[in-house]
Amino acid sequence: MDLLDKYKKTWESQPEDSKRFSKVEIYKLAHSKSSSIVKWIFIVGLLELAFWLTINMLIPDSFYKIYEDLNLENQVNFFMVLHYLVISVFLYFFYLNYKKISAVDNTKKLIHKILKIRNTVKYYVYYNLTIVFLSSFILNSVLMSDSDKLMKVMNPDNLSVDINQLITVTIISQIIAVLIFMVLLWLFYKLIYGYLLKKLNRNHKELIKLEEL
Amino acid sequence: MQKDLETKFLSDFEQNQNIAHKICRIYTTNQDAHNDLFQEITIQLWKNYSRFRGDSKFSTWMYRVALNTAISLYRKSTRTVKTQDFSDFAYKIKATTYDNTEELQLKALYKAIHKLNDIDKALIFLYLEDKPYKEISETLGITSVNARVKMNRAKEKLKNILNP
Repeated sequence: MDLLDKYKKTWESQPEDSKRFSKVEIYKLAHSKSSSIVKWIFIVGLLELAFWLTINMLIPDSFYKIYEDLNLENQVNFFMVLHYLVISVFLYFFYLNYKKISAVDNTKKLIHKILKIRNTVKYYVYYNLTIVFLSSFILNSVLMSDSDKLMKVMNPDNLSVDINQLITVTIISQIIAVLIFMVLLWLFYKLIYGYLLKKLNRNHKELIKLEEL
Repeated sequence: MQKDLETKFLSDFEQNQNIAHKICRIYTTNQDAHNDLFQEITIQLWKNYSRFRGDSKFSTWMYRVALNTAISLYRKSTRTVKTQDFSDFAYKIKATTYDNTEELQLKALYKAIHKLNDIDKALIFLYLEDKPYKEISETLGITSVNARVKMNRAKEKLKNILNP
């Protein structure tokens, strides 16, 4: 007899679990809250929206003076609205994909559907990083293109400084600030979504291997 | 209507809960995680029950939903957890005369299965449960031929762990 056949016999004669759940307990379990991966991805997305909204509200009005000085107020407001609109669309897709997930599908289909959520998350990350990069790039370009404005914004007390030196300092400090911010953001995404999607990625790789047989 | 459905679900699941327990036992390695996964399986079964038409047996449908929950929806990682404290599940065998060979064998089998990856676990589980290849391929969404090839590999892996 094959080694596994012997184990299979043992498997078949194993006892039922000592902790059987009664109908009442099953009822309670069925109505408890799910904590599936998909749900967590959705919750994290919601928390992110809340996070960015809070940051936005906490920024003092004086911070926006720089945009006023640069006559960029309208553009900034327009992009803010667009930004939150885009985030809402992303969240809507999160929700849609979350709703579409059904444990009744076969495993391959299910993983593909969850992977679609993963892609939404990925595009969301790319979008956020692009926005950070683009907005600082635009702000800098406007600043640099007009040395009078730059002087006014960076040197409000009218101290005597060399304009070239000021430009260099501004560029370097901006680059450093943007880099630090992007690294922090990237780390945050890597940690949160990496943690959430680790198991899914592993199982998806296995299934891909199955297809390639 | 909803109440009838619920009553039927509770009785179907209550009778077949051992399937879910076995899946929890191979995908988790401690009692807390076992209960967590069991809860998630129950939620998923109930969530989808209204769409269960009864074309197949409840148990067949349940294998699919429960395995999917363990493989794709359950949040916790299954690989890095410490090995099971075997005292929380008594591997008592239904035997007339007391013989602990089978008990030890069952322990060894679970320990070996825990070392497999999630997909191999599913394949081995369906093999041990004596499921036909057609059902296995439909559950995982792969062709019967691929299921066969992959099954043989999973069995080889398991044999090597059991008998190095």
